[in-house]
Amino acid sequence: MNKYLLNGLYGLLGFIVISAFAFKVFQPIKVLPRIQIAPAFQLTDQDNETLISEDLRGQFTLYTFTYTNCPAPCYNLNETIKEVQSRLDEVQLEGIPVAFVSISVDPTRDTPEALGAYAEAIGADTDVWTFATTENQSMLKTIVGTGFETYYEKKDDGSFALDPTFVLVDGWGIIRAEYRYTTEVSSADRILRHLGVLAEEVRNSKGTTKLAYEAAHLFLCYAP
Amino acid sequence: MKIKVIISIAAVIAGLAAGFYFFRPHTFHGTVIQSPEPSYDFTLTGANGDVSLSDFRGKLVLIYFGYTFCPDICPATLANVGQALNQIGAKAEDVQLIMVSLDPERDTPEKLAEFVGHFHPSFIGITGTKEEIDTVASLYGIFYQVNQGSDATKYLIDHTATLLVIDREGYLKLVFPFGVTAQEIADDLKYMIRQ
Repeated sequence: MNKYLLNGLYGLLGFIVISAFAFKVFQPIKVLPRIQIAPAFQLTDQDNETLISEDLRGQFTLYTFTYTNCPAPCYNLNETIKEVQSRLDEVQLEGIPVAFVSISVDPTRDTPEALGAYAEAIGADTDVWTFATTENQSMLKTIVGTGFETYYEKKDDGSFALDPTFVLVDGWGIIRAEYRYTTEVSSADRILRHLGVLAEEVRNSKGTTKLAYEAAHLFLCYAP
Repeated sequence: MKIKVIISIAAVIAGLAAGFYFFRPHTFHGTVIQSPEPSYDFTLTGANGDVSLSDFRGKLVLIYFGYTFCPDICPATLANVGQALNQIGAKAEDVQLIMVSLDPERDTPEKLAEFVGHFHPSFIGITGTKEEIDTVASLYGIFYQVNQGSDATKYLIDHTATLLVIDREGYLKLVFPFGVTAQEIADDLKYMIRQ
């Protein structure tokens, strides 16, 4: 084979191998995995209005699962949401709205009135933070239990066995992060960092930079 | 000596350009999902009996949610998938489209079979009870609601119009938005068939 062609071939192979290796090792771009499609739903909120999953397209949504008679773990989740909301200006969101949705697993007691009173009692900003549920217990189990993979079960004393969980969903309705068993307020830092990572991906999801981001997904360059 | 260096550099640049062209990663036209778990399995009723998603392990499965009275987006999407399969040729045997009806009241398995058969002979249409369909639709991110239609249609159903691709092992791999073309579907399916 021609010597010059051989040089070119060696150069090419070396470049590709080094580039791929460098991309994997240095991970210049971080992304959040596209874990699963979030479940679609139709719920009733604290104002007795309908909340459908399609209403939340085009914004980042942080879901939690709760009930108004829930003791400490839910209180901690609420505090985390409040902290995330109060610190959103630390993240470059490029104008992408962030919504918070707390889905009650106790529709029997959590009527719209009860949800409204609860929102007021904890000082939630209901312009961006919605409390909702559905009386259809079977669909609720499908949405929360199977769709968001959050276990809950009613106990004999009326309380619930419930895994404290946050789920972050992007503007296309895809689950991008799950935060389980983290009831400490400090997890707000991680959620805020992840919101920034998502916003950066949206900002760069055009043209050639989109290719780099798809490569980051391919090489599993996930943000911690 | 200088000429040799220049030719070597030119060969490296040409090689890089060719390498990037031939080895560039495939750019999917839908959103790639890297789900750690297999997709929700379900069993609904087709014209020839029960149909489960897991019946098609080893094939790429396209799932579309629609209904036979659908005036525009369902026929457009199914026509695009039919054209895509025709473009793929013999390898289309590795692909199965399933349309899940969102209208169990009017879509019998037989009506569904007749409807989807207009777009490709391999297509399957399935239905079930409203509760079964609600569950499957929710878990695949499909919202739907009944709206008033004309005298002829009585009612219409607004629904999420994404087209989902399940890989050979049963994992949700790709979500096509509404409006994806037959060529784009064919490109992505060909790539996935080769893998």
